[in-house]
Amino acid sequence: MEVNGQLALTVLMGVFLIAVAAWLARVEDWRSYTPLAGGGTVGGTAEQYVSEEKPSGVIRWLTTVDHKDIGMLYGAYALVAFAVGGLMVVLMRIELADPSMTLISNTFYNSLLTSHGITMLFLFGTPIIAAFSNYFIPLLIGADDMAFPRINAIAFWLLPPAALLIWAGFFPIPDVIPAQTAWTMYTPLSAGVGSGNQMNAGVDLMLLGLHLSGVSATMGAINFIATIFTERNEKVSWANLDIFSWTILTQSGLILFAFPLLGSAIVMLLLDRNFGTMFFSVDGGAILWQHLFWFFGHPEVYILVLPPMGIVSLVLPRFAGRRLFGFKFVVYSTLAIGVLSFGVWAHHMFATGIDPRLRASFMAVSLAIAIPSAVKTFNWITTMWNGKIRLTTPMLFCIGFVSNFIIGGVTGVFLASIPVDLVLHDTYYVVGHFHYIVMGAIAFAGFAGLYYWFPIYTGRMYQVTLGKWHFWLSMVGTNLTFFAMILLGYGGMPRRYATYLPQFATLHQVATVGALILLVGQIIFVWNFVQSWLEGREVQDGDPWDLADDDLVTAEWTWFERKLETAVTDGGEEETELATDGGQTVDDADAESADDA
Amino acid sequence: MDEAPGLSDQYRTASPWPVFIALGIPISELGLLFGLFPLAVGGLLLFGGSVVGILKESGYVTSTIRAVTALAAIFLAFGAGLAFTDIALVTRGYAVIAAAILLVVGGVVFELFVREQRQTF
Ligand code: HEM
Ligand SMILES: [Cu+2]
Repeated sequence: MEVNGQLALTVLMGVFLIAVAAWLARVEDWRSYTPLAGGGTVGGTAEQYVSEEKPSGVIRWLTTVDHKDIGMLYGAYALVAFAVGGLMVVLMRIELADPSMTLISNTFYNSLLTSHGITMLFLFGTPIIAAFSNYFIPLLIGADDMAFPRINAIAFWLLPPAALLIWAGFFPIPDVIPAQTAWTMYTPLSAGVGSGNQMNAGVDLMLLGLHLSGVSATMGAINFIATIFTERNEKVSWANLDIFSWTILTQSGLILFAFPLLGSAIVMLLLDRNFGTMFFSVDGGAILWQHLFWFFGHPEVYILVLPPMGIVSLVLPRFAGRRLFGFKFVVYSTLAIGVLSFGVWAHHMFATGIDPRLRASFMAVSLAIAIPSAVKTFNWITTMWNGKIRLTTPMLFCIGFVSNFIIGGVTGVFLASIPVDLVLHDTYYVVGHFHYIVMGAIAFAGFAGLYYWFPIYTGRMYQVTLGKWHFWLSMVGTNLTFFAMILLGYGGMPRRYATYLPQFATLHQVATVGALILLVGQIIFVWNFVQSWLEGREVQDGDPWDLADDDLVTAEWTWFERKLETAVTDGGEEETELATDGGQTVDDADAESADDA
Repeated sequence: MDEAPGLSDQYRTASPWPVFIALGIPISELGLLFGLFPLAVGGLLLFGGSVVGILKESGYVTSTIRAVTALAAIFLAFGAGLAFTDIALVTRGYAVIAAAILLVVGGVVFELFVREQRQTF
């Protein structure tokens, strides 16, 4: 039996490798008919020429190293993960509509809880940001592509296997069950110690998947740092670098220091689980895990929030009819948050009994980090103050972002205070706090970006009324769900339980209703997104938001305009002349618009 | 605008290798973690072969055989470390060593037969 299994695996592996080799042999013959690499393509004009270099159909998507294609892949991936994670939590919220165990078992609830968290943070959050940064950073800074286009593709393709591994426990594989460790994977539970079932291979698979997604994020981060440093158009200086690129640069720096640490901690945990090491089982092992995890974990929350802040800082002024107020201070506060975020991790550990003097210093830094966040909030509000506000869907999502971020941030400041935290730690208050930020702010900024740039990546316009429905349902749903959680936390409802005391029923039901409203909103979004992509009104104008009226055009719209023009002038055919030219500079409009970004 | 042509100066927009590098890593990790010999060997071959392929394609190396040998040497050292030291993960070590040997064999075969044929095309 054992030998048979090995044999079957060997044969399978062999056949697979031969198939890969055969496919590669065919595909590699492309070289013979692709234009010589060398000088390559230049500036925005490259687009027309570039598309000739791609094979067609599925193979194009499997082999592409074009930053725009990879951005689209990231986006599609992230939205699928958002749907999966969202449906998981809908199931959980329905279970929580009544106090006892009804719809799903407690263990299944724990599995969903774990997967929901990991899916949303690592498979939705990070990738949706990468979707925007891949597509737009090269356009915004006037680069041909990313510094390492192939690494870029590798980073993306690590993600689908990562998702499969993270979700593996849910697949009908014999003897494999989903992890129930929660996203923080605290030892000794996650080390499989004790009489529980967390020694199961499902946990190992999840850890491997998480590790893989970390490798992917790190590769992406290195690529963005290299790109922003070395590939900028000569007209884009540090002084006029746009705000989104600044936030991505800072985020990449954070990833570079945080994710390898998570990777190492995961490897140590895997060694503990499978090879008898004792990193986390000796005295102090449990607290060691918490230190390692949160040294990664707190920067991770800023990894997730800085680029969305960048999107809001970019989009919000376009619909307020003026430049971002205090641009420099927004950049400085981004950098300040980046630095400070490494000095606050133990605020997640106030209740563990660590040295009170240490605790106090972490409290001080945690309170301090609220200052740059407040600076940004101040700047967004002052940008809108007396502005010419246009309440388009992306603008609504930006305003929603600011509003939710304030509630999320203020609740965070309360948690940063040790005496308050000792009362509220591990209650729904914490869940409410971070969901105001991850859902109310990060996801909202993602939607703002998706709507704002919809014309660029689809060539069409979305349906405005449906967009507004999506916004209002999301806004109401978010606040209903997560404000109820904050109140639940005040009442003492602990987090991460499938059942609860009857006294919490009403607020839990409010939260469930809120979640269902959110669900309806997202269904409308999916409908709008897909249908408009296929059948929406085609955009004829390179400036669909009329940004030129207020002199607020940015480089990606200039690029889009030129793309539309070339498509029109020669009837949609490829522009062959441009293909031969290796040395065109980006025209002036580009450079001008870059400095007001 | 291409005065500083970045860190890799070729901008072809398609490459077959990234997908396979990305597949090779998890397959070999799974094989090594759970001690599944065929998966470990196959995954490492896929990973190693694709790394050499991508390096060649992007012009970071010129000789396939030398790149393959260098990579195989790294595998060999790692495998030997697993198998013959106190770590004593013998099967896993042998899997890595096997992958190293097969990688070199594959590289030689490619160099001698496949590439020749291509050129006479
Ligand atoms: C304004 C600055 C912020 C402060 C002072 C702050 C403070 C805190 C504190 C003290 C906790 C620990 C609560 C506990 O478990 O007892 C916490 C939890 C958390 N915060 Fe924040 N926070 C801030 C901003 C953010 C942002 C921007 C994000 C997300 C992007 C975020 C995401 C989280 C998450 C995910 C947790 C829960 C971790 C867990 O235990 O699972 N926070 N926050
Ligand atoms: Cu934190």
